[in-house]
Amino acid sequence: MNPVLRRTFHLARRTMSSTVPSFPVTAAIQQKLTDALQPIHLDVLNESHMHNVPKNSETHFKVVVVAEEFETTKAPLQRHRRVNGILAEELEGPVHALSIIAKSPSQWAKSNAVPASPSCKGGDGSLPKK
Amino acid sequence: MLSSIATTALRRTTTATFTSAVATTRQHFRPALAIRFFSEDSHGDFAPQRKVVEGEDAAMKMIQEHVESNPVMLYMKGNPSMPMCGFSATVVQALKAEGIDFSSVNVLDYPDIREGVKKFSEWPTIPQLYVDGEFIGGCDIIVQMHESGELADLLKDVAKSEE
Repeated sequence: MNPVLRRTFHLARRTMSSTVPSFPVTAAIQQKLTDALQPIHLDVLNESHMHNVPKNSETHFKVVVVAEEFETTKAPLQRHRRVNGILAEELEGPVHALSIIAKSPSQWAKSNAVPASPSCKGGDGSLPKK
Repeated sequence: MLSSIATTALRRTTTATFTSAVATTRQHFRPALAIRFFSEDSHGDFAPQRKVVEGEDAAMKMIQEHVESNPVMLYMKGNPSMPMCGFSATVVQALKAEGIDFSSVNVLDYPDIREGVKKFSEWPTIPQLYVDGEFIGGCDIIVQMHESGELADLLKDVAKSEE
């Protein structure tokens, strides 16, 4: 067989057999927030691709969480502290940036707008690069 | 000793420099850039000298002093003219839009302050904003307060108390 063709087939086979990337940090964040807050709405967005880190990284996240308990915990600072506390292990470990949108169900009913995250400015050099 | 280190770490950003004229901004910031490029290619003796903040206790004391003596104090990555992180950049933009003068520390230059301020505020990420010694929040909260007008109200009181 033509060596170029053979190489193409080889690459194609390898690509097909390679495993789908797993996202354990994303899964852990999802699980912990679900368990602790029983949210009526939860988005865990891995925004690492917007930053200067390798493909399939799990370093930069945004969570959108709507929970009943935020009807009583009104101050944004307290809501953020609650979420940071639940995710303390992740924040001390792999998670480098966490943007939090925490709303009560009544606030969410009024507006479910989620602001866009800012663009990367290069980073601080503490993480592996693309 | 401590106070001299604190002054070295601190940077004052006068919003007037940013809003009044582009030329002023350039004049103000170009020299620093030039020094940086120059120093990278030259002997280490000519590199900018930075005081070393040693140890957690020194860092905590310094942070306490910063937030008590600076009405609007921002811990960020990079400096206001060249933020190194989108979240820090967003907070600088919000403060500039409020037209307020603020002090800042580039935590990338001071690893002990970077870790210290996380403990001090019990807050895991940078940027962090203090107003009148009180922790206000990070990027999400500042943006939210800027849009709702709460930040303007908060800073109005600061401006008054400074007069």
